[in-house]
Amino acid sequence: MDIRLAGVTKVFEPDIVALEDIYLSIDKGEFVYLVGTTGSGKTTLLRLISREYLPTRGQITVGDVNLRKIGRGQLPFYRRDVGVVFQDYKLLPNLTVFENVAFVLEAMGIPPRVVQNRANEVIDQVGLWRRRFLKPPQLSGGEQQRVAIARAMANSPSIFLADEPTGNLDLRTSEEIMRLLLSINAAGTTVLVATHDQYLVDAYRQRLVELHNGRLKRDERRGRYFIDGEL
Amino acid sequence: MASFKYALRDTFRLICRHWGLSVLTLITAASVLYILGFTALFALNVRHMVSRIEGGLVVQVYMKKGEKPDDVFARVKANPTVTSIRAISPEEALDRLRAKLGNQARAVTLMGENPLPWSLEIQVQRAEHITPLVRDLVVFPSVEEVIYSGKLVERLSTISRASAAVSATILVLAVIISALVIFNTIRIAIYSRKEEIEVMLLIGATKTYISLPFVIQGMFLGAGGALLAVAGLWATYASAVNAVRSTLAFLDIIVNQQVLLQFFLLLFATGATMGWMCSWLAVSRFTSRALRPR
Repeated sequence: MDIRLAGVTKVFEPDIVALEDIYLSIDKGEFVYLVGTTGSGKTTLLRLISREYLPTRGQITVGDVNLRKIGRGQLPFYRRDVGVVFQDYKLLPNLTVFENVAFVLEAMGIPPRVVQNRANEVIDQVGLWRRRFLKPPQLSGGEQQRVAIARAMANSPSIFLADEPTGNLDLRTSEEIMRLLLSINAAGTTVLVATHDQYLVDAYRQRLVELHNGRLKRDERRGRYFIDGEL
Repeated sequence: MASFKYALRDTFRLICRHWGLSVLTLITAASVLYILGFTALFALNVRHMVSRIEGGLVVQVYMKKGEKPDDVFARVKANPTVTSIRAISPEEALDRLRAKLGNQARAVTLMGENPLPWSLEIQVQRAEHITPLVRDLVVFPSVEEVIYSGKLVERLSTISRASAAVSATILVLAVIISALVIFNTIRIAIYSRKEEIEVMLLIGATKTYISLPFVIQGMFLGAGGALLAVAGLWATYASAVNAVRSTLAFLDIIVNQQVLLQFFLLLFATGATMGWMCSWLAVSRFTSRALRPR
């Protein structure tokens, strides 16, 4: 699914401007890095797309859906099509790796046998087959990140949002995670990755959107550059 | 169907994972429902005793000499508060008097002609129905005198009204307290799973899917608490009945097994319904707040 942001501004109480007048268009199947310093608005942008936040001004459209117009009853169904890897993973510590991945599918009412097959498949894809019965506190940071990715890709979403997926990870693990994200993108999923890991952005060249103080500073696409509002 | 299976499994997990809280909720629910049941049983027994005494109250209407009670009888019979009415002929009244006087019965015949008039014996549903009935009767020109225990009737009416009001107040208070206690314990259970619920909402779980295990848990704990309360009340009531029979035999308390069984079933249903409603309210408030976009 494609993502369109038109004049999006997000102001938090009392008057903290997190994003200001963002126009951004991401096509179906694109891979986009969202870069910028801490507090530049990367996480806010991802949360607006996952409809955790509503924009103060402007419109966000994902596919044919205007996110402002989604009712509470429809929201779960929208979110099922958006896989999110949270900055703090948000894994459930009491559940095993398998259960953490499976409960996304269970929440959709999918029969147990299908859940088991699909959860095992994605756990295998992220390379955690041998660790599927361990609980998050028993895993390393990189492994927890991979569980979060497996959970986000379990229901084959159309859009994949990853917030600092390589933060605090060593280079080798970061590269593994990146390759995983690229493989998800290769299957046709639109991927948005918020990061400030310059090495990865340079090593795996993809479209790059840079935010600075809540404003769009740069949109680099296939060699074309959009800097400070001018082509 | 699969969702319901997951909900049952999650309910079991919820109860096991927070077993301390579950036991606490069960004990709390059992305690408040025991108090609720005890209050209701006490109120029922007061009502039962008062109505028994009320049922025994008789209004006696004496007709003027030579007057027949037909018109008064018809009027009283039409009154919906009247439970029984009986006309006593002068002959029957005389027989009764003779039987009462025993050895001195001959004195009655000395008077020659039967001096006793027609009379009516009337019973009503409640003590408070007597005064309006008496007011109706005294206006008949054929009525000589109406005899009833005026002060007793007034006192019984007051006791009856007061006991009904006090019982209703206590019952309402007990229901509110029970509901609040169950609501809050379920809310603690929900808050202990706050993160889990938030993640579930973010990954696209519906409100119903999230709520179902909590609602089943609430129902289970409410019903379980009610079951414990019923067992406790049954034992308490059985020993209370034995104690009353051996020491205060004149007290007429409820011993009808069918009435008691219905009462305990009602208490069980109250516990389950209360558990279901409180947990649904608690989880619904939480998920609605969590789903509200910021």
